[in-house]
Amino acid sequence: MTPVQMKRILLSFGVLLTLWACSPDSGGGGPEPPNPVSFDRGEMLVNWADNIILPSYANFNARLGTMNSAYTTFKSDPSEVNLQTLRDAWFDAYLGWQSVAMFEIGPAETAGYRLEMNTYPTDVITLEQYLSSGSYDLSLPANRDVKGFSALDYLINGLASADAQIVSRYQGTEQQALFDYIDAVIADMQSLTTQVIQGWENGFRDAFVANDGASATASTDRMVNDFIYYFERHLRAGKMGIPLGVFTGTKAPQTLEAYYRTSAGKELFLAAMGAFRDFFNGKHFGSSATGKSLASYLRDLNTLKNGAALDVIINDQITLATQQVSALDDFRTEIENNDPPTTMLLAYDEVQRIVPLLKVDMVSAMSISIDYVDADGD
Amino acid sequence: MQKAFFSALVFSGFFFISCSNDSGENPIELQVDPPATYTFARNGSTTVDFSGQTTRLLMGGELEQALKDPSQTVASLQAKYAHQAGVANFNDADLNASDKNLKTKTAASAEFFSSNSAAQADIRADFDSWLEAQATEVFRNWNTAAAPGIAGQIADGSSTRYVSGSGLEYDQLVIKGLMGAVMTDQALNNYLSPLVLDEGDNVSNNDSGVTEDGKNYTTMEHKWDEAYGYVFGLNADPANPNNDLGADSFLNKYVGRVESDPDFSGIADQIYQAFKLGRAAIVAGNYEVRDEQAALIRGKISDIIGIRAVYYLIQAKLVLEQPQPAYGTVFHDLSEAYGFIYSLQFTRKPGSQEPYFSRAEVQSLLTDLVDDGSNGLWDVQPQTLQDLADSIAERFDFTVSAAGS
Repeated sequence: MTPVQMKRILLSFGVLLTLWACSPDSGGGGPEPPNPVSFDRGEMLVNWADNIILPSYANFNARLGTMNSAYTTFKSDPSEVNLQTLRDAWFDAYLGWQSVAMFEIGPAETAGYRLEMNTYPTDVITLEQYLSSGSYDLSLPANRDVKGFSALDYLINGLASADAQIVSRYQGTEQQALFDYIDAVIADMQSLTTQVIQGWENGFRDAFVANDGASATASTDRMVNDFIYYFERHLRAGKMGIPLGVFTGTKAPQTLEAYYRTSAGKELFLAAMGAFRDFFNGKHFGSSATGKSLASYLRDLNTLKNGAALDVIINDQITLATQQVSALDDFRTEIENNDPPTTMLLAYDEVQRIVPLLKVDMVSAMSISIDYVDADGD
Repeated sequence: MQKAFFSALVFSGFFFISCSNDSGENPIELQVDPPATYTFARNGSTTVDFSGQTTRLLMGGELEQALKDPSQTVASLQAKYAHQAGVANFNDADLNASDKNLKTKTAASAEFFSSNSAAQADIRADFDSWLEAQATEVFRNWNTAAAPGIAGQIADGSSTRYVSGSGLEYDQLVIKGLMGAVMTDQALNNYLSPLVLDEGDNVSNNDSGVTEDGKNYTTMEHKWDEAYGYVFGLNADPANPNNDLGADSFLNKYVGRVESDPDFSGIADQIYQAFKLGRAAIVAGNYEVRDEQAALIRGKISDIIGIRAVYYLIQAKLVLEQPQPAYGTVFHDLSEAYGFIYSLQFTRKPGSQEPYFSRAEVQSLLTDLVDDGSNGLWDVQPQTLQDLADSIAERFDFTVSAAGS
């Protein structure tokens, strides 16, 4: 199926969904779920919000704070040692980001949080122009690719090939311009994150949990759509497919997430995949405890595929994909040194095999319609 | 239903059609044999030429790029539109040398505009005003966030769109508008018209194989090719063009888009086959088959415009109905829709002398699109979009649901 056909089908779903969403609710009506079971979506929403989403945001915000402290130290003494500490803190925050990137709902959706924080690759030409001119407004949508994690990647990993040269830029005539720019980037990231967390704490958490029905606008339906969209477009395509050239036929390693830190692409992917799996299984953030989840929902529905439990099939496929990716060299090396990068393509295929399990089998069992449309038209 | 009708037309091309223009006892049998590809030759050399169309498509491509470059000015944009030979308006030196431009072919068809100069002037003024507004409103606010009443930039997914204070992207209006006012009007209402194909001695010259001075084609052959060039003039293999639809940002791109909608798959080949058969009919001197194919092309190209107008209206409506509408996406879709609706006045209802919507009707639709509130598209309501889509689809043979997905 071509992407266009896929889009067409998605759009068709969208039309159906809209018609459904627009039908009057006066009779208490709405379609009956085909598999009436006792699963309580509200309990799942509470587990998501209180045990996964909010703790993940809090943890990420703390890591951002640590990164900012490391930056403050580097700023007062731009040495190679302090640069390394800053890099470690940046990467730690980037790993933490992988646990929140999938929650593009509510205040995050309003803020366009994911693209504001982590549009990559960064536009080096524009970024360097801004450094020389000192004139930029990072709140503009066109500047999403010169800020966030990827801009920091360039500024602390990519300014030069050797650390001594990078540090010398921070010690030379550009020092103030560079520090001003990083100040602005980090302030923007922290402000966005605070805005999202406050949005959850000041009303959205309760609204999210209370909206526990089964309709196009219900929290579960929307979260599942966001979750699958994230998997398809960001985890699968953004971190692997686009750099591999799966969609264009031309590999593009420079589009890797955290391109300037060679080892990072694979590590960030694995962190994101782990967070994705944990969310699917309802695993509490930072704990081995689990609660109501998409997996337990499938178990309650007794969803089978070819005689096997669907939640087990999905977990097995995530495990297989994760193993294949783990066995790879770092992504940049895999892509740059192999033509075609066959081993990584095979791993990508295992990642891709998760998509229909979620997008066809899981949503069909839950009577959830896929409603997202590709925003990037022509 | 449409498919069956089309097959009948194609099939008719293979019949021996008797013609009454002979003086002898036996009718001359004017068999039309369409070649496998759009390839026609006389004395071993090709007779196909649409370089003028290719030139204008390329000029449109450069204008499209310039509309996204805030260093351009009102004067530089309008000069690209009304290019004069020898002036360095473009990056491509061949275009600079050319004596062709887009403005003189805007609303310039023989059938619709030869005695309608007032409307023609109004339409050209529309384009000049959009070009001006792009520079004076949008370029000026290039690094400003868009807000109701304030031009500037706004996110559309990972893209950034640049809109007027009412949410319109003037570059979309210009490019989609040109698709109607130049490419569609010229192809359907000029070059496929008997007024043009049969003008002067064209028929007798074509019947007896008299070619133009210094050329290898008859005038009638060339006119038909010029219509073809407005649809397929930039494809890598113009003789067999449907492998890389999207070669330009005008009709070619949207023939491709509609083709990829399962509700309309096959339309690209239908258009291509009709062009090919009609051209073969000219070679055979069979003007009945020629005109049947012209009617078919007029209908299909008009469908493309109508389908995409409805498509963008419905896509925008779906986004607008979401709990937190992405206005950048809505504005982009509706700017596309605006251009396609504008282009409806250049469509051609087969079997008539009329477009599917008159200029006055188009203006009324466009007013409805932007008058739900004082800030244009910032205030547009989903029901308005549905109503517009319904009104447009009603005049065509497709449904809103087929076109809208």
